[in-house]
Formats: sequence, C-alpha cells, structure tokens
Amino acid sequence: MSAIGRSLRRIKSVFIARSLEYLRDRASFGWNLVFPVLIVFALAVVFSGPPRALFTITAVASDSLPELVDFPGVETIEAARNKALERLSRQQTDLVIEVVDDSVNYWVNGNSASGAVLELLLKYTESRPLERGETDGEAIRYVDWVVPGILGMNMMYSALWGVGYVVVRYRQSGYLRRLRATPLTKFEFLSAQVLSRLLVTLTASTIVFVGTNLVLDYKMVGSIGLLLLIALMGGLAMITLGLAIACRTASKEFADGLLNAVTFPMLLLSGVWFSLDGSPEWVQMLAQVLPLTHVLEAARAVMLDNAGFTDIAIHLAVLVGFCIVGMGLSIKLFKW
Amino acid sequence: MTEVILSVTDLKKSYDDVTAVDGLDFEIEKGECFGLLGPNGAGKSTTLAMLEGMEDPTHGSVRYYGAPLPSDYQSRVGIQFQATALQDFLTPFDNLKLFSSFYDDPIPMDQLIEQFRLRDFLHRDSRHLSGGQRQRLLLALALVHNPEIVFLDEPTTGLDPRSRRDLWDVMTDLKADGRTLILTTHYMEEAEVLCDELVILSHGKTLLQGTPEQLIKDAGVSDLDTLFLSLTGETLVKTQEVIE
Repeated sequence: MSAIGRSLRRIKSVFIARSLEYLRDRASFGWNLVFPVLIVFALAVVFSGPPRALFTITAVASDSLPELVDFPGVETIEAARNKALERLSRQQTDLVIEVVDDSVNYWVNGNSASGAVLELLLKYTESRPLERGETDGEAIRYVDWVVPGILGMNMMYSALWGVGYVVVRYRQSGYLRRLRATPLTKFEFLSAQVLSRLLVTLTASTIVFVGTNLVLDYKMVGSIGLLLLIALMGGLAMITLGLAIACRTASKEFADGLLNAVTFPMLLLSGVWFSLDGSPEWVQMLAQVLPLTHVLEAARAVMLDNAGFTDIAIHLAVLVGFCIVGMGLSIKLFKW
Repeated sequence: MTEVILSVTDLKKSYDDVTAVDGLDFEIEKGECFGLLGPNGAGKSTTLAMLEGMEDPTHGSVRYYGAPLPSDYQSRVGIQFQATALQDFLTPFDNLKLFSSFYDDPIPMDQLIEQFRLRDFLHRDSRHLSGGQRQRLLLALALVHNPEIVFLDEPTTGLDPRSRRDLWDVMTDLKADGRTLILTTHYMEEAEVLCDELVILSHGKTLLQGTPEQLIKDAGVSDLDTLFLSLTGETLVKTQEVIE
C-alpha cells in the first residue's frame, strides 16, 4: 500500500472513531440540534407582529442634515451609502439621506409606507434642492434576519468547542500520548478531527435550517449551493481556529478561557443578533477580523438579497485565509 | 547466544533544575523480561519513556541493536502507558479496529480477542470496564501490531489480586512467544515471578542490577521486598499503598 493510501486509511479510522464518539454522546448531539431550534422559535415568538412604529433614517454623511432627523420619533443612524441602500431595500430603514454640496439626495423604498410619509415630511421641511432616488424590496422580519445569525452561532460553538475542547481533553487524559506511540501523524490526526467535526456541523446546520424553515418560512431567495459553500468554508475556518487554540493547551480550564475569549467577541460583534451599521467605525473594522462576520454577511447576502458568487467572493477569500492560517498553525505547533 | 536488543549508555534526563535520570548504563537482551524497580520519583517512568522513544535524553543514548533508534521504531514497540484514557463511548471492539488500522499487518482481531479474553465485554462502553478488563484491553492495543518489544508501565497497579494474576499469565505467554518485555512495577512478587533481569533505581541512579535470585542471594535476604527495604528504608508496596 502506498504512503498516501496508508495515510487515508488512518485518517478514515480516526474520523470514524471521533464521529462515533460524538454520535453516541446523545446529550451533546441532541443539544446541538435542539438549542438553535429553541432560539429560533423563541425569537420568532418574541419578535412576531408588525415592525416597530418608529421611523428610521440612515444618513450617509452627518454634516448639515435636514431638520427632519431631529423630529420626535425619528431615529437616525450613519452608514456607508451601499450599506444604507442595502438596509433600505430590506426596509430596515425608511429613508436614506446624503447631503452633497448644497443639495440633499434621498432614497426611499417604493414598497414602504413609512418611507412615503418621511418623503412628504422631508419635502415640507427642507429648503435645499432635493434629488430623489428609489429602491424596492420587501420588508424582512427580524426572524428572516436573525436565522443566519443563529445558524452561524451554532456552527461557531460546535466547531470551536467540539474540536478545541475535545483535543485538550484528549491531551489531558493521556489519549494523545497513546496515539503518539503509533504511526499516526499529526496531519492525519488533525485532518480526521477537522473532517469529522465538519460533517457534524454541516449536518446539524442543514437539519436546523430545513426544520425551522418548514415552520417559519423565513426568507431564502438565493442559491442553496452558495449557502452550503459558505457553511463549508465558515465551518472549516472555525474548526481550524479551534484546533489552533488547542494545539498546545494542556488544561481544560485554560482552553475554556481561550475559547470564551474567541467566541464572545464574535457573539457580540459579528452581527448574530443585531446589525452593527450604526456602531463606531473601529467596532465595524474590528468585526471584519472575525470569521463569523464574514460567514454571516455572506449568508445574509445570499439568503436575503440573492447575492451571487462574485458578490460574496471577498468573504469566501477571507474564510479561506482563516483556514490556511488556522490549519498551518495547528500542524506547526501541535503537541501530542 | 543472546543478542542485546537495547543498550543504554550514560543516560540522563533533566527538567529545568530537576534531574530525573542520572547516568544509567544497562543492556537488555532479546526475549528477556527486564524490570525497572524503584519508589515513586526514582526515575522509572522517565527511563521507560526514553527507552520507548517518547522522550529524548538530555545526555547519553539508547541504542537498538547497537544503532540509533530507527525512524520506524514506534512500529517495532508496543507501549502500555501507566495512565491512558481512551475515547469516550467507544467499545473495545471499536478501539481494536481503530488501532489495527494504524498498521499494515496487524494481528487478526479475533486472535487478540481470544488471547486477551475480551469477548465478554467486547461491545461495552470502555468507560464501564473494570480495572482488569481495561488493562487487558490496553495490553491488546499495545500488541495489535505484533511488536518485538513491549513496554509495560506499572501494568497491575490498582488491580485486585485475581486480575493481577490474570495479567501475569498474559505476560508469561508473551514472554514464551519470544517477545522482549520491559516493565516497571511496585510489586516485588511480580518482579520475582516475571523478570529475568532487574535494575533497582533510586533518585535516578542505579542501586543494584542483576537477576532476582542473584540479588537476593548476594544480599543474604529472603526476598526482594526485604532487599528493597534494606536499600531504601521502605517497601515498594507500602510506599504505593500510602500514596493510593
């Protein structure tokens, strides 16, 4: 048998062993499926009903804004023009305003009643020349927006803890030392862990995605294939990140701390629960170095805006970069 | 004529400012059962780890048939570690299958199952095995690739007398097969029954070396336990019992 054949045989065996271990741990397996479903349904109930009766204006620049933005009941946030128009087409904002020289450019969504009211108020109160633009697009419910976030969050926890914590447990218990006394190589062991967890993560995400969509019928206008590709790359990026964290750590408590240090920023800054559009620029820049941000931006673009491959290519490229760095570091630094 | 399978020359191992092994010299002949004895902290496990190829010496050498350890040394030795966990939720059958897949020409699983009497608990979750069953499984895993040398690090510690005797039988069979066994133990009786050659260590150095009969005779004592007591001021078993 060739060296590659031997290597594949060993990867397959470790892959099967790890998958069996996970599948037979019914509590963990069940929780991975039940938890995201519970969250999706809970949010669907909590945020059901009509959208809030508050007007939202998105300003592309903050100088010399129209008087309208100071009206009671009007909330104003800032965003770049493309982000602002994206929000307008999803009816996450009612009006977009950009002041250029001495004129006011504004955009409304032709399907939005709130937008029509704000347009009238703007015309009535603004003395500078107005330039109108229009987008269209149906309003999205919170559940439409949050489902990719919950799927991504579940993937993040499953990938990081399912690999990072497990490898540290193997090391602490002496199991890795036992494996080291066999011809199994680091690469073979790590590859099997990645593949096993990837299968689990993708399967669980697919079951949750299909199951919750059957009941809640949330918005999914893009390509299922692209969404799977995002899940694949996102899963790989986070699994390899988990491996990099676990590659030398010998204490479960320390691993716990490290994994929390990585998951908390993603939970808060990657747009799982709410959009960061109105947040300071440095926060938005910080979010861009987190893999979950790219998973969620790409997934929402596909699910809500029917984005194509080229539209999300940059996110995929970043995720590939995370995979290469994560796997490279893991192989280089891994200690049995 | 006997052949030296492993030779150790001026072997030392230090961790920061602690010297665990301090200048050992001995030879192990092919097919013999070689015992490393000593109280806790004597350097037995560290010496064993260097013989296994799992740790590099700080100084000195371990040679295999007179040459440096070959790159495929791990395929020629079987190791039963003192404390080894297995993957949760896997059965002895799953573990045998997994470890067999690591090698090109493993011993048929049925043969191992019979030899180590694993049949009765073959499909039981490994977490629910008794101490003796677990040790038999670990020994089977160490031997799955039919190794020339078998390392056993305190294989019977914590076992009840019956399980200990069972394991002695297995080790006697392995010796009869012509394998070289290298074991550490706290039990003098075990060393007397199984070992052809002994090294008694203390603080990383050799106190005595020889066959059990020769050591007892030279010291003019009745058994190894008494000899050990006279050397270190404590019995091995009692030391272990206090720790446990």
